[in-house]
Amino acid sequence: MSSVTVNSVPLVAPEVAQTIHQRSIGVGILFGVVSLVTALVPQTREQFFHSYLLGFMLWLGVALGSMAILMIQHLTGGWWGMVIRRQLEAAMKTLPLMALLFIPIVLGRHHLYVWTHPDVVAREPHLRDITSSYLRIGGSPGYLFLNGYIGRAVVYFAVWLGLAFLLERWSREQDSPPVQNLSPRFRTVAAPGLILYAFSISFAVIDWVMSLDPYWISTIYGFIFIVGECLSALCFMVIVERILVRYQPMASLLKPKEVHDHGKLILTFVLLWAYFSFSQLLIIWAGNLPMEIRFFTRRLNSGWQAIGLALVIFHFGVPFLLLLSRALKRDVRTLVWLASWLIFMRFVDLYWYIEPSFHKTVYLHPLDFLVPIAIGGFWLALFFHNLRLRPLLPVYDMHGQEFLEYVGASHA
Amino acid sequence: MRDPRIYGLLAEFDNVNDAIRAARSTYAAGYRKIDAYTPFPVEELSEAIGFEKNGVALVCLIGGLLGGTAAFVLQWWINNISYPLNVGGRPFNSWPSFIIVTFEMTILFSGLSAVFGMLALNGLPMPYHPVFNVPRFDLASKDRFFLIIFSSDKNYDPTRTRQFLEGLNPISVAEVPS
Repeated sequence: MSSVTVNSVPLVAPEVAQTIHQRSIGVGILFGVVSLVTALVPQTREQFFHSYLLGFMLWLGVALGSMAILMIQHLTGGWWGMVIRRQLEAAMKTLPLMALLFIPIVLGRHHLYVWTHPDVVAREPHLRDITSSYLRIGGSPGYLFLNGYIGRAVVYFAVWLGLAFLLERWSREQDSPPVQNLSPRFRTVAAPGLILYAFSISFAVIDWVMSLDPYWISTIYGFIFIVGECLSALCFMVIVERILVRYQPMASLLKPKEVHDHGKLILTFVLLWAYFSFSQLLIIWAGNLPMEIRFFTRRLNSGWQAIGLALVIFHFGVPFLLLLSRALKRDVRTLVWLASWLIFMRFVDLYWYIEPSFHKTVYLHPLDFLVPIAIGGFWLALFFHNLRLRPLLPVYDMHGQEFLEYVGASHA
Repeated sequence: MRDPRIYGLLAEFDNVNDAIRAARSTYAAGYRKIDAYTPFPVEELSEAIGFEKNGVALVCLIGGLLGGTAAFVLQWWINNISYPLNVGGRPFNSWPSFIIVTFEMTILFSGLSAVFGMLALNGLPMPYHPVFNVPRFDLASKDRFFLIIFSSDKNYDPTRTRQFLEGLNPISVAEVPS
């Protein structure tokens, strides 16, 4: 544990982190037990796995998005990243838990993926193609076969855990004097790391989410998820900021200017999400091909269109208009409401991507809330545990002292 | 009381913290027609001289709305009224395909109105400005920070205001001829 202080205030996370950690475990166990029971009951088992995939993708998004933002901030620098670096690292360090939580998806594959049923595959020529001959190399089977699915998942998690391991280890090196300039080392990993992340998550969402409907493809799909993950991560950071700013040391470290920057980044990602999502719609609508429009004919009919419209208005329209306000972005107490709302909309967006694959008409099961909350409980418990292990500011970073002067100067 | 030949009193500071402190005291002393000049943007200084909002955001918003509306209406008019064309059996009013141009025109017009709105609201181009009558003012683009109290301020008094500024620990105080 470090004894780093600012104006004689220690830089460790406040007691509240411990409280939230304990409560999150409670929530995780409570909702986890209920979810587990539904997984064991045959009638609800199928729904359990649908909701599980939803919850998994939601929290994986916060963890991976945080890693991406962390790498961006290593490349760009800036005080906006300095004040949230340790929070981003704590979120990134939940990736081992997410790797563990992936196992149930493999176990419940028959409830999720139609291509894992040999009898269905035998009946459908297209499924036969993608499971046996599509992308076939030598004597190997096609793209969507179980060993390939698991093998690729191992590669994705190896990439993510490897990046997280390096970024975390060097960051720990920076927690004791003397001041070292590790920035070049961080940059060497962050630049290729971002490219690796973009590729790996694109392939991962094709495997895990897009293959729920193996007849359909969209080339911008990966980017929609990347932007969604970065948005989730930033919104989560603002929520954590709001909790920490009530106590020292964050009370004297967080300035309106940095909150403003976080607000601007949220606005950027809201716009990008809308831009990519609309591009997907426009391209498919303009092409008007039977194989492509099946995604939207399913999601813009039989009640699902209400969810789609809600996404346009509440994931884009209203947040966009609100985020134009400078005052709202500068005050963490107002920004936190919008951030919380956007995390909920991230959930709705994923729900709109996943659940219509199983139901022709609009359908919502209580498990769609219970399971994501259960996973979130454990995830948050680990996050706040991680947060308490390290000082909240990298003081021995090259720019650490400069940052303290900056914070002190605007304080005087 | 007001001498039309005098534009204001200019105080010079050699560091940003003195300038911010001086600006806060000046504002607290009741002076409102004040301004500051610095070699780089200092956000706290804008707050200290009581600067809250400017019209650029509003001009930008109006420009963007006008540009977007014009783009959409133009496409709608072309495709529905002026020259309706059957494209792959789609309806004439195929709004999804209008969105891209609408979006781009919104960006273009808000960008242009932000730039030109800023210039107009700043009164630029401005061939003559009295502060340049003070020779030392050249340093405002190097390493000095300047605070001015305009003679149009209702609390302005040639001797008392000068004494007040000299009490703020400046490097120099100069009268600015208009």
